[in-house]
Amino acid sequence: MRIRTAALTLAALLALALPVLAQTKVPGVTDTEVVLGITTPLSGPAAAWGTTALGAEAWTKYVNAQGGVNGRKLRVMMRDDGYNPGRAVANVNELKDQVFALVELLGSAVLNANKDNIAEAKLPTIWPYGNPQIFAKQPREKVRGVFMVYPDYGDEGEFLVGQARKLEKAKKVGAFFQNDDYGKGGLEGVRRGAAKFGVTLAAEVAYEVADRELGTHALKLKESGADAIVIYSTATHGAGLIKEMAKVGYRPKIFASFPLGDRFVMFRLLGELWEGAYYNVTGAVPGEPEADRVIEIIVKQDPKLKGRESFALAGVAGMVATVEGLKRAGRNLTRDNFIEAMETIKDWSPEGLTGKITWGPNRRHGLNPIRMMRAGKAAGAAFTTVTGYQPFPSHF
Amino acid sequence: MDLVESYAQDLRFARKSFTRALLGLVLLAVVAFPWVAPDYMVFIATLVALYSIGVMGQNILIGYTGQISFGQAGFLAIGAFAFGHLRIWGAPFLLALVGAGTVAALAGILVGFPSLRLKGPYLAIATLGFGVAVYQIFVNWEVLSGGRSGLAIAKLKPMLGLSPVRYEYYVYVLLLAGFTLATYNLVSSYVGRAFVAIRDADIAAEVNGVNLTRYKLLSFAISSFYTGVHGALYAQVLGHIEPQIFNILESITLFVAVIIGGVASIEGSILGALFVILVPKVFSNFREMVPVVYGVTILLVLIFEPLGLFGRWLKTRLYFQLWPFR
Repeated sequence: MRIRTAALTLAALLALALPVLAQTKVPGVTDTEVVLGITTPLSGPAAAWGTTALGAEAWTKYVNAQGGVNGRKLRVMMRDDGYNPGRAVANVNELKDQVFALVELLGSAVLNANKDNIAEAKLPTIWPYGNPQIFAKQPREKVRGVFMVYPDYGDEGEFLVGQARKLEKAKKVGAFFQNDDYGKGGLEGVRRGAAKFGVTLAAEVAYEVADRELGTHALKLKESGADAIVIYSTATHGAGLIKEMAKVGYRPKIFASFPLGDRFVMFRLLGELWEGAYYNVTGAVPGEPEADRVIEIIVKQDPKLKGRESFALAGVAGMVATVEGLKRAGRNLTRDNFIEAMETIKDWSPEGLTGKITWGPNRRHGLNPIRMMRAGKAAGAAFTTVTGYQPFPSHF
Repeated sequence: MDLVESYAQDLRFARKSFTRALLGLVLLAVVAFPWVAPDYMVFIATLVALYSIGVMGQNILIGYTGQISFGQAGFLAIGAFAFGHLRIWGAPFLLALVGAGTVAALAGILVGFPSLRLKGPYLAIATLGFGVAVYQIFVNWEVLSGGRSGLAIAKLKPMLGLSPVRYEYYVYVLLLAGFTLATYNLVSSYVGRAFVAIRDADIAAEVNGVNLTRYKLLSFAISSFYTGVHGALYAQVLGHIEPQIFNILESITLFVAVIIGGVASIEGSILGALFVILVPKVFSNFREMVPVVYGVTILLVLIFEPLGLFGRWLKTRLYFQLWPFR
């Protein structure tokens, strides 16, 4: 008797687990809506970056308020992966048959763990954040669905050294870098730049993400006598280093990679110590008309984004690109014609938030976007624009 | 009556026919699962299977032998990278798996030496240091970790016409079954009893003829073997590894799984793995609240189920056995 009850219970449970039968031929597309999937770190060590996804979602609400795309409303299925590649793979597996496309995968480890997965599922993957070299090394047919806009760390490192030479006549530079894919990629570029521009690379100082005490790093850099420091770190570590250097009376010129590009964060952490620093950004920043217009729109859709505008803006750009592809693909939407539509995007900028993007049949790295800014007075978080978008090569 | 009259009877896996029937049902469900559940659930079940092996290994060390360890991430990384290199050199899957476990076990013996003198929180700190040291070594020694871009590992080639997800699931579940059986046998053998004796009172154990050096090191070696295999299976499932994956959070996750599932319990290990995989997944719609929900759930289980999830199962079983009396 008990066995039968158990068997019946089990059968009922199994029935509950049965997949909902697909109602349409194209995953994630019905007459009235298009479902877009996002897996992102909403918790864990990289939770701050998950704001990109919230910005992207806010933009879909705005698009829906305007009537949607080709008669369909957009819906976002968002999953938290905590920056953990295993959880991200589980999320992508869950989403791949329920969503039309994946928007904004985040993190090098996450991209590496999913790169074959998305290729096998033929899942369009728009605007992934991570090292472009991951996809550049993939065979061509495996990146068919990938449309990327992201800086190459090496190109940027070379550029930073060149600018230090040109703008501040630096003869000796020091590199402060995170001991991982990102930091070492930047360091390679810095080495190339030093050789190319005839600058001495006086010190290479690595730190770990878990490090909190940066006094010894600052002393090493001071001893090297470098007159400019190139920084490949997180915002908090960069700020920590600059503080420690100031404590020992060492104030070299600062040339920082794009993760230190949020001037509000940097001024909050450093105050006047950030004044005069050169730093890169990848898109429009608050204070520029294009950015301010979009910020107003998304904060109206999701008031929680107030105070986190910089990451949200970066996320909006990816969603605008996705929407553009959906528009161009027309009412009769399939993953194939969406990919073809994305390939027609040429010299186009998402609401002016980035430089001109060009994707094409043989070009998936649509923009390698870097431009340089300089921090002004701390009061009012002032800045000046040093260069426009750099003509770096597309890598795949 | 449930009277055990011989050692052979004691070793029997399932004594009563009802237990056997229940076990059969569970096996049936496990076999049928990938045919009725969507692919992503099968993948999650695969993750649970591989985590279960690691948690079981930790339970041998923490639960049965009473040696607190926080070095799991280190053993995971050693297992994963050993497996990665062996696969790249052309070793077949199973051989690479055994190799990964063996390398991790050797590392376990190395770490086990301080355990001969250290106890409780001191041992926890020493093993924690090991985990951090391994991480540093992999980050800085690029020959081992595959450099900036990490190691890519070829996916398993499905056989018997199964889809890759189902094939991986069956392989992993079979491995879990193998490890479960091995663990049952281990804990009911004289080795397992020596472990338990050390946990309960190491001086008394030594007086009774248990060689502390040998059995403490053995416990470290066996548990590290399991954890190494866990790391290898994780690497295989991800298809790509880099040192950042094996950070301190992984150590804590495994530790939580042991405590939540039930200390010194094999079934509890599987329940613990289910918990640490499923809770973040089920609540992933809570978005930024996930860690809070996760933490609160852990607290609730610890407050109301001090014996872990397996303790709840024991109480439920007892209730039905005694029914209608209480």
